[in-house]
Amino acid sequence: MTSLAFRRAGTHGIFLWAVCALFVQPASAKQMRILRWGGDSAGGAPYVFQDPKNPSRTIGFEADVADLLATELGMKARFVQNQWDSLVPGLKRGDYDVVINGLEITDDRKAEVEFSDPYYLTYEALTVRKGSYDIGALADLKGRKAGTLKGALAERLLAGTGGVEVIGYDTQTMLYDDLALGRIDAVLMDHPAAVYYGIDPRLKNLPGQFGRIAYGVAMRKGDAELLADVNAALSRLIKSGKLRQVYERWGIWNPVMAASFADDIPNDHADPADYRTYLAARGLHLGWRAKLDVYASYIPLLAKGAVTTVELSLLSMSIAIALGLLLALMRLYGPFPVQALATVYVEFIRGSPLLIQLFFIFYGLPAVGIKLDPFAAAVLGLAMNYGAYEAEVYRAGIQAIPHAQMEAAFALGMTRWQALRHIIIPQALRVVLPPTTNDFIALLKDSSLVSVITMVELTRVYGQLAAMSYDYMGLGILTALMYVLIGLPFVRLSRWAETRLTVSLRRTDA
Amino acid sequence: MDAPTNLAAKGLCKTFRGQQVLKGVDFEAGAGELIVIVGRSGCGKSTLLRCLNGLEIFDEGQIRFADLVLERRQGAPQGDYHERARRLRANFGMVFQSFNLFPHLDLLGNLVAAPMIVKGLSRKEAEAVALPLLEKVGLSGHARHYPIQMSGGQQQRAAIARALAMSPKVMLYDEPTSALDPWLVDEVFEVMRKLDKEGMTQIVVTHETRFTREVARKIVFMEEGRVVEVGPPAQVFGSPKDPRTAQYMSRFMA
Repeated sequence: MTSLAFRRAGTHGIFLWAVCALFVQPASAKQMRILRWGGDSAGGAPYVFQDPKNPSRTIGFEADVADLLATELGMKARFVQNQWDSLVPGLKRGDYDVVINGLEITDDRKAEVEFSDPYYLTYEALTVRKGSYDIGALADLKGRKAGTLKGALAERLLAGTGGVEVIGYDTQTMLYDDLALGRIDAVLMDHPAAVYYGIDPRLKNLPGQFGRIAYGVAMRKGDAELLADVNAALSRLIKSGKLRQVYERWGIWNPVMAASFADDIPNDHADPADYRTYLAARGLHLGWRAKLDVYASYIPLLAKGAVTTVELSLLSMSIAIALGLLLALMRLYGPFPVQALATVYVEFIRGSPLLIQLFFIFYGLPAVGIKLDPFAAAVLGLAMNYGAYEAEVYRAGIQAIPHAQMEAAFALGMTRWQALRHIIIPQALRVVLPPTTNDFIALLKDSSLVSVITMVELTRVYGQLAAMSYDYMGLGILTALMYVLIGLPFVRLSRWAETRLTVSLRRTDA
Repeated sequence: MDAPTNLAAKGLCKTFRGQQVLKGVDFEAGAGELIVIVGRSGCGKSTLLRCLNGLEIFDEGQIRFADLVLERRQGAPQGDYHERARRLRANFGMVFQSFNLFPHLDLLGNLVAAPMIVKGLSRKEAEAVALPLLEKVGLSGHARHYPIQMSGGQQQRAAIARALAMSPKVMLYDEPTSALDPWLVDEVFEVMRKLDKEGMTQIVVTHETRFTREVARKIVFMEEGRVVEVGPPAQVFGSPKDPRTAQYMSRFMA
């Protein structure tokens, strides 16, 4: 509750800021403005990812670009996390002002959003296993499995080659892992990804350059002023060489860019400092003590995610229980139209995927003017979905109480509502307690789905950390353990309540 | 000799799923009378009892109690029927064959629930009513026991006390001893005798011959949804006017 109120206050705060900004002189207002930029920190290096040394920090060459751009605009950059597939819908919703996260400038996307001039240019690169000698060009992939990111240009390139079995992935990490494990035969990805992930000792990057890619800063259609400002700022950053410095630090400056930026003077002193740091972090052979330290450093971030998960689950479940009870009563005792309404609701919500409902609430409703912040949308989605399940549980629970109980209550002069409230529901409570606890545990885990609407909860944190550390095993165990630990107290509580409630139904004097 | 009539039903009709269970029943009860309704299973005696306190909505007919009238006519709008039924019901206490105590409440909780919820009494006020009633039915020591901890006879006595806690003017019993072991039957009848002596109007559906002979002021014999014969036990048992009554009684007495 507090958190929701807090977040609301937060949104209002931003709104007030915007209002203030209209009235204060532009110069001073500009300095305080925030540039909210969207990206997916589970996407992987070197774009946007968690700092291995301090996992609560988001770094990457695009984080640097965002900082440079914001400074150039007299603003301050603030990162907003969202799933990569959903970056454009989130932008349209207004969750952030721009997207800077490897979004290729394509005609399809141009129809949806406004693109700045390119801030980074590159090409697709092929990566294969060390022992593969018969793959050199896209045509060689015929009859083989090639992996790439879903929705990326490379996917279309592969599809256009013909005869290639294209496997779409959500994150780069898994892509290169699967290649190393032999689940796929080649990876076609943007060159920076190959630079950072192709260094696996089991893999090799091939020299060929395929296609041409330009990343642009995406903005909402109609943000003409921002577009002009961003383009002017980018042009200044290119001329001053500041952008080149960023790319050199990350080790991803390339000839295509040199040509496009008209900045082809070789720089022998370029030091890929950030790349080296990254390699050092990856290549570390840690003793068990150091490993424990690494895990310890993950705990605060995981704990933060866990708190969000708990808040989300508790609030959603409370609402789901109330909604479920209401729906159950509507179905059992309402006049026909009310019954029908409740039945349609239950069948419809229960029969359609939670994921689609979440997308609908978060990205669909703004089309009719209802824009919820991520936390509210997540709670609403989970509560509405689980409310439908609870409704059926409670209906069964109430029906399990013999009708004679209702008659006895009537005979004593109670109204239907009084009988339900004081006689039937208290008895149904103990019947529905175990299934309700079950549902709560399920909701706890289903709450991981809300990461698709920009919520950073436990599973999301796990994804970010795993993408950074490659430690799917250790982190997996750690995260799973946290879910179990969160659930346990509620399981105990329910068992305790069940025992207490059941006392009157047992023969204690026997 | 007859007590003044204060409960009267006229022309009660009730159809269940196309089967007519009550075919125009007339019924009267005087204040302080103990009336036993007898008849074969399915003759409509339980339905009559349930109609009297509005648990069952009759299709046609009229029930009058004191100055309250509950009336229904085919095709006529329902009006405030449910509200009237509830007001009428406030004068009746009902005891069921299967006791129907509330299993999640202890005995005292069962007794104070309705007075607190329906009449809005405080717990203290409700307990002041309930405790003497527990004593009356011989369950003083069981106030904190849950229904499942008690024998059937104790549960049925508790159910009577629970009904009495709402201070009804008429008590209705629907086969109150049918679910009891034979040796537990008397303790329940004992309570009913006590209430009879105190002048409570009681209407009982039962198959217990001895109780019927000894305590009933009036016997109502029903068959196939109609009242066939009404009279004092001596008459209905000894010299029934209707041959159907005679036939039933010969079996009933056996």
